[in-house]
Amino acid sequence: MALIVEVLDPRTGEVRLRRRLDEGPVTLGRGYDNDIVLDDAYADARHARIVSDETGALVIEDLGSVNALVGPGPGGARQTRVAVSPGVEVRVGRTRLRFRDPDAPLPAALPDVPASAPPTPLPRWVGTWWGQLGVTALATAALAWVTWLGSYTASPGSEVAGTTLGILLIAATWAGIWAVASRIVVQRFRFFGHLAVVSTITLAGFALVAVDEWATFLFPDGAWKNFLAGVAGLLLIAALVAGHLALSSTMSRRRRWTAGLATCAVVLAIGAVFTLVEDRSFSDVAAFSANLKPFPARWLPTATVEEFGQVEGDLKTQGGCPADDD
Amino acid sequence: MSAPSARLPLIALGALLAGAPGLAAQESVTVTPRVFRRYGERVVRIQVVESGSAAKVAVGSGFFIDDRGRLVTNYHVVADLVHHPERHRAELGDGSTPGDTVAILAIDVVHDLAILQAAARPRAHFTLGPAPVNQGDRLYALGHPKDLGLSIVEGTYNGLLRHTLYPKLHFTGSLNPGMSGGPAITSDGRVVGVNVSTAGNQVSFLVPVDRVIALAARLETPGYARAENLLDEVARQITAYQDVYLDSLLTASSKTVDLGPYRVVTEPAAFFRCWGDVPRETDLPYERAEHSCSTDDEVYIAEDQQSGVVELTHELITTSALNPLRFFALYTSLYQRDNTPSGSEEHVTSWRCGTRNVRTETTPLRATLCLRAYRKLAGLYDGVVKVAVLGHRNSGLVSTLTLSGVTFQNIQRLTARYLGQIAWR
Repeated sequence: MALIVEVLDPRTGEVRLRRRLDEGPVTLGRGYDNDIVLDDAYADARHARIVSDETGALVIEDLGSVNALVGPGPGGARQTRVAVSPGVEVRVGRTRLRFRDPDAPLPAALPDVPASAPPTPLPRWVGTWWGQLGVTALATAALAWVTWLGSYTASPGSEVAGTTLGILLIAATWAGIWAVASRIVVQRFRFFGHLAVVSTITLAGFALVAVDEWATFLFPDGAWKNFLAGVAGLLLIAALVAGHLALSSTMSRRRRWTAGLATCAVVLAIGAVFTLVEDRSFSDVAAFSANLKPFPARWLPTATVEEFGQVEGDLKTQGGCPADDD
Repeated sequence: MSAPSARLPLIALGALLAGAPGLAAQESVTVTPRVFRRYGERVVRIQVVESGSAAKVAVGSGFFIDDRGRLVTNYHVVADLVHHPERHRAELGDGSTPGDTVAILAIDVVHDLAILQAAARPRAHFTLGPAPVNQGDRLYALGHPKDLGLSIVEGTYNGLLRHTLYPKLHFTGSLNPGMSGGPAITSDGRVVGVNVSTAGNQVSFLVPVDRVIALAARLETPGYARAENLLDEVARQITAYQDVYLDSLLTASSKTVDLGPYRVVTEPAAFFRCWGDVPRETDLPYERAEHSCSTDDEVYIAEDQQSGVVELTHELITTSALNPLRFFALYTSLYQRDNTPSGSEEHVTSWRCGTRNVRTETTPLRATLCLRAYRKLAGLYDGVVKVAVLGHRNSGLVSTLTLSGVTFQNIQRLTARYLGQIAWR
């Protein structure tokens, strides 16, 4: 009767070697002239052999080794001869041998599917080529348009092209870094997915800047506006980080946003440090808040000259008093 | 700091007046040495020394005006002593003789004068009084140019300057740093003025002697006591002085000039000088024109602080090539440019600005007021008002009014007047 012997690794228990046994004899030991060589300091050079007995059944026999065989059964008694059959385990030195029936039934093979990607919890279009290409093209166009509007030279072409390509390159590098991170963590590059995330946030950023500029123009005195713009800007940063993490990790939505908000906290902290340093430093440069826009004069919200006088009073009480500084 | 600061921009005067040849030259050969021998000992070198390092921070000149040891110099020579009396002392000569230390008795910061008290009685002194001179008369300026020893400079009296905020005499002769505070006298020893500044190329300026007489007279008023802290006196004098010139500024009768479609104020007072400029840059898609007015004078407070400057600039931009959004990006950048006077942390606070869209009788404006306080001179501020006319698609006007060393009330008053004087025609 044929059997399969499995030699198990002494430490990990993983199968190191499988061999079919028919009649024998098969010798086992540390010596290189054995049929099965054991890398085991507790095994003799020629430790044991497997042979067929008179009935044709396989047995393993000790060849006078130091540690003999440790057979199955309670207590792990040392033995010199053990009959082997499927399911039996015998120890030679510290190496375990396990015997199996070559005809034992096996479960059906697993179907080979591509490594399953974690489901993308981003909007569907981010995963499609047309979505990625579309949003990137849109952001590039917006970038070029904004650059063109902000330039007032006679031929702004080179300036627009240079700025647009430069920023596009930076965005591509940024997406590339995230793509490498994705490749490491989830085995997928998703470069264009990351580019789509950057592009989306850039578009949202342009919208935010436009709203802020118009608000600054129409309501130059609103302190609430700076606060709102700051919060919206931070949320965009959080969304950017969360978006990239969605493509490059298996984090849950909650953890992604936590990571995004943590990034915002770091940005805020750095900003706060700079503000603290700035506050102490003196500047003789005045900030003329501007963002002038073409807007029909008759709809423009305005103050009277007298109300402007109130501004002056505020400036004075805000700390123009020299005594405060000494 | 030893320099009498060059306070006037260099203005080309064409051919410079040179010493008349012939008779005059001959005369000067005999007169100048006599003036020097006779009056030289009435002029002294004054140095201000930093007590800690014993290093001199300023060198100037001065002259005795009575037998009690009173002497006259420029305020700017002893300004360090006024600002930091605990760190400085003023000495006569090279300070080698004990008892040469001098104290400040009185200052006139606006006219840049100071009267000092020496411990010892002088051997000789000038007597102040009216000195009738005519344009073209010879004058002799005495002092220590560049600390090279007492020197005499011959020059010509050219009368009182017109268009100045406070009186100054025009002296054609080379005044050099270190001569500040020295006298300019006639050949018979009458003081006409005090050396104060130069614009180079023999264009020099004197403080008229009547300002010295007035300051000396103030000392004689019964009950005169010098302010404990001279900086309070500096602040008081500047505050009092500005009312004189700011009152007449930007009133309804001010001259106006048409700049493109806008009407703006120009030459707000006689002591302003105005310039116009239209740079021709053909490769730009817009045109720019500039019109600016400024007072020529400023009041020296410290090395890096001047007061009394009033400046008015109007910048017009027009375009036919830019669309409104691009034009307004340009307009924004023009408005945002910082054109405020510089300042040092020792003297002024940082700027604080407030912005509103304001509607005057004729036009809506974007208006920003920036304010900073003088740290040591209570009640004085620098103020900058900047406006941009709104509501036009292809033209814009950015106009700035800069006031330095004025009271808050004056800033408010002038801002209101100023806003009302920008008009769309």
